[in-house]
Amino acid sequence: MNPVQSPQNRTSQRLLRKRSAINAIAMTLSCAAALFGLVFLGWILWTTISKGLVGIDWALFTQSTPPPQESGGLANAFFGSAIMCGLAILMGAPLGIAAGTWLSEYAGARRIGMVVRFVNDILLSAPSIVLGLFVYTLVVAQMGTGFSAIAGAISLAFIVIPVIVRTTDEMLRLVPAQMREAALSLGVPQWKVIVQVLYRGASAGIVTGILLALARISGETAPLLFTSFGNQYWSTDLASPMASVPVVMNQFTASPYESWHTLAWAGALVLTFFVLVLSLLARAILSRNKVRHD
Amino acid sequence: MTELAFSMNAPVVAHSPRAVAANATAKMSARRLNFHYDRFHAIKDVSLDIAANRVTALIGPSGCGKSTLLRTFNRIYSIYPKQVASGELLLDGENILHPKYSLNQLRSKVGMVFQKPVPFPMTIFENVAYAIRHYEKLSKAEMNLRVEQALNQAALWDEVKDKLKQSALGLSGGQQQRLCIARAVALKPDVLLLDEPTSALDPIATSRIEQLIAELASDFTIAIVTHNMQQAARCSDFTAFMYLGELVEFGPTEKLFTQPGKKQTEDYITGRFG
Repeated sequence: MNPVQSPQNRTSQRLLRKRSAINAIAMTLSCAAALFGLVFLGWILWTTISKGLVGIDWALFTQSTPPPQESGGLANAFFGSAIMCGLAILMGAPLGIAAGTWLSEYAGARRIGMVVRFVNDILLSAPSIVLGLFVYTLVVAQMGTGFSAIAGAISLAFIVIPVIVRTTDEMLRLVPAQMREAALSLGVPQWKVIVQVLYRGASAGIVTGILLALARISGETAPLLFTSFGNQYWSTDLASPMASVPVVMNQFTASPYESWHTLAWAGALVLTFFVLVLSLLARAILSRNKVRHD
Repeated sequence: MTELAFSMNAPVVAHSPRAVAANATAKMSARRLNFHYDRFHAIKDVSLDIAANRVTALIGPSGCGKSTLLRTFNRIYSIYPKQVASGELLLDGENILHPKYSLNQLRSKVGMVFQKPVPFPMTIFENVAYAIRHYEKLSKAEMNLRVEQALNQAALWDEVKDKLKQSALGLSGGQQQRLCIARAVALKPDVLLLDEPTSALDPIATSRIEQLIAELASDFTIAIVTHNMQQAARCSDFTAFMYLGELVEFGPTEKLFTQPGKKQTEDYITGRFG
């Protein structure tokens, strides 16, 4: 008997055809959905690159923000962003790592730990403008010095802290419990075990958290509006207003001047590139340390 | 090991005050030991002796309390809240459960190797040197010697002597476990606790570790938890059978496996339950 003719075979052929059709439809739909998302991402990137490249020149990195209709660069804004982001990381990272360590190693599953973890998650998703206003009332309005780079860095640090608390806590909890037991069973005190063994095990994750926090704050505008304010000129004084890339972009894009628009696009491109490099770096660090303990 | 450890004359049973015969002295002794995980009573009134320079195996079905018992011997349980041991647990005649007994001292005397090999994320050399540094100030040459000794004792030296500066995470599972043994013996403890040390390893690595256990018994007092009865029979001198938190039977390994005194023991070792 020819197997193709058998009734079972015909049924299975029909089933196969039906399943192939369903598979094709599902595949098309999911590809289309992915494409839909990618198109907009590509569009945004393309616009940023094509409009930003026009403004990329030597002057962009050497000259300060110009008055309307004159040529200039964003040197003061780049410098200000670097200073304030750097200070924010310097303030936020030690605090965040310490708090994350406490959560993972000392608080653990205790009630107080869960409450702190929950509050940290709220802080993590708090609108950044609220943090900016908080620092405005707490620092800017109280100090009498008015707007300052320090105040800007503090408000950025408030964004950094919850990100680093979260990643440190999670990365330390990924270290197998047996590693702690093995180290403690050698009679080494807990703080030494944390600093010398657990931090090494979690270092890639913790560093990644810091890089991601840096990527996050480098594009933040809202917290800087009421704190560092902005400065048209080159300034290294931490106690006075300081320019930053996102705030300058915010101001320049809202203006009617073509030269300011070009500078804003160039700033956007540099910022995007910086965040891209940070993300790639974070990925590289994580994948280099992929050796797991099982 | 060369010495025949079954040479004890009197049959040894659970709760016997003279649990170990004259030719082997007790290094550690549990006396009416109880253990609670919060409200769960995991070990019930267990008394037994761990003979010096002998291998004592703890066997029993999952959840019988054998690992819990082992974890009281260096009080590693105390890092978790709500885990409490009561009764007496003597090391060289001193009660290690007494709050004044120094944990640091206890853990330098009682080393532990865990089920999964967990090398620290450092070099092979540092893994062994790490804990030594906490206790002793050694010169570079002395430290090199100590690390070499420990790796030799763990039968790992020949395999790693050319890559001491490489990460320990690159070793195979069996090598990692021997590194963990080296790390423990480097502190020159009196007692070695092995918590199912081969259950994550393949048969070849397992037989290597079992061979090593026999060699180590001349220098250390060893207590090993295993759910592999053949392993207990192969490499221990004494065996304790536990069930539901109680010590059912305890005696020379040969006797326990050939003429078990209790019905439950016989059922377990013949594979009728567990």
